[in-house]
Amino acid sequence: MTMSEFYFGYALFLLLTVAISLIRVLRGPTSGDRMLSAQLFGTSGVGILLLLGRGMEMPALWDVALVFALLAAVAAVAFVQRVWKSGEQKEAKSDAS
Amino acid sequence: MISALSLFDLVLIILLLWLAWHLLSARDLFRATVLFITYGLLMSLAWVRLKAPDVALAEAAIGAGITGALVLVALGRFGEAESDEAEPGSLWLRGLVASAALGLFALLGWAVWSLPTEMAGLKAQVFERMGESGVENPVTGVLLNFRAWDTLLEMAVLFLAVLGAWSLGEAEEPSMPAPGESLLALVRLLIPLIVLVSGYLLWLGETAPGGAFQGGAVLASGFVLLLLAGVRPIPSLMGWPLRAALGSGFALFLVVAVAVTGGSRMLLEYPPGWEKGLILLIEGVLTLAIAVTLGVLFAGGRPPASPGAGKRGEKR
Repeated sequence: MTMSEFYFGYALFLLLTVAISLIRVLRGPTSGDRMLSAQLFGTSGVGILLLLGRGMEMPALWDVALVFALLAAVAAVAFVQRVWKSGEQKEAKSDAS
Repeated sequence: MISALSLFDLVLIILLLWLAWHLLSARDLFRATVLFITYGLLMSLAWVRLKAPDVALAEAAIGAGITGALVLVALGRFGEAESDEAEPGSLWLRGLVASAALGLFALLGWAVWSLPTEMAGLKAQVFERMGESGVENPVTGVLLNFRAWDTLLEMAVLFLAVLGAWSLGEAEEPSMPAPGESLLALVRLLIPLIVLVSGYLLWLGETAPGGAFQGGAVLASGFVLLLLAGVRPIPSLMGWPLRAALGSGFALFLVVAVAVTGGSRMLLEYPPGWEKGLILLIEGVLTLAIAVTLGVLFAGGRPPASPGAGKRGEKR
């Protein structure tokens, strides 16, 4: 097995973990669970990009990984500041009904 | 044995199709939003696999930094009025729509299938004349020199988008919780890094994937972060300085385009020896203009007329 096959194998493994985490997006139950699943992909994406960058010999992908890592928190901040409260209230309401 | 890379591509394609289907058919808007954010990040990986790192970088910056926050904030504004339980149309109507969509799909599929598999496009011409472009990254060479006209018009489109958004109304003061300690700490940590990375991407554009759009999008996420943390813009900057920054990219590009014209040179034909300097100047201003434009679009309207300024006007 060549070294690049090794990198691609690990990238595939990380992509599969992302696929599994998507179950949480569909099932929920709370909006927080769904959002965290998307956040997990931000982290796995960094790993996938670093591995692909090595395997495909494209150092430019490390910059893409840098941007992923830097901006992953922005969507989470938007969620906490603008959506979360109303989302939880709504769920509390639907639980009561 | 199938290589790990082709398996990776296969899983990626299946995931993209699966996500697209679920986000379009989701009744819960929040679920669709999260799926959309994930879809954008996965698209970035797809661009990587298509060996288009420039597009992957732009998709990562815009997808992670801007559209995710934009869609979430839009959802927050919808609030309770979200559940749109539209009656599904009659079977006949649905059949009609489905066959029209399938027909379009078949047409597009046929168009893609009939393309020649080995297509050089204009690649050979671009690589042949890279020496004249003033930069080393072919994508920047095309965007800022060979086809600078397209980029100039793109800036006009961005400017028009702001005019459109501003003519719809003032930016609303959002209701949101006061930023906690951790959020403020995060902002203090991230903003300098965002500025640094934005400048880095801008500088990188000369030799590697990067440039004004990527740098501008990263810088714009800094504005998004500040707005989300409830940091108010300095009122004195919200008047003409903001408008000047919004127009600066298009204006400077236009000035350069006209200024280099003359003699036998056409519009946007940089004089030999000046290419690199002019491209760097244009890209630098463009980065700021794009960042401010995206930030303003995120705010969602023209800055509200500040009550202080209004009162002062009344006294006079």
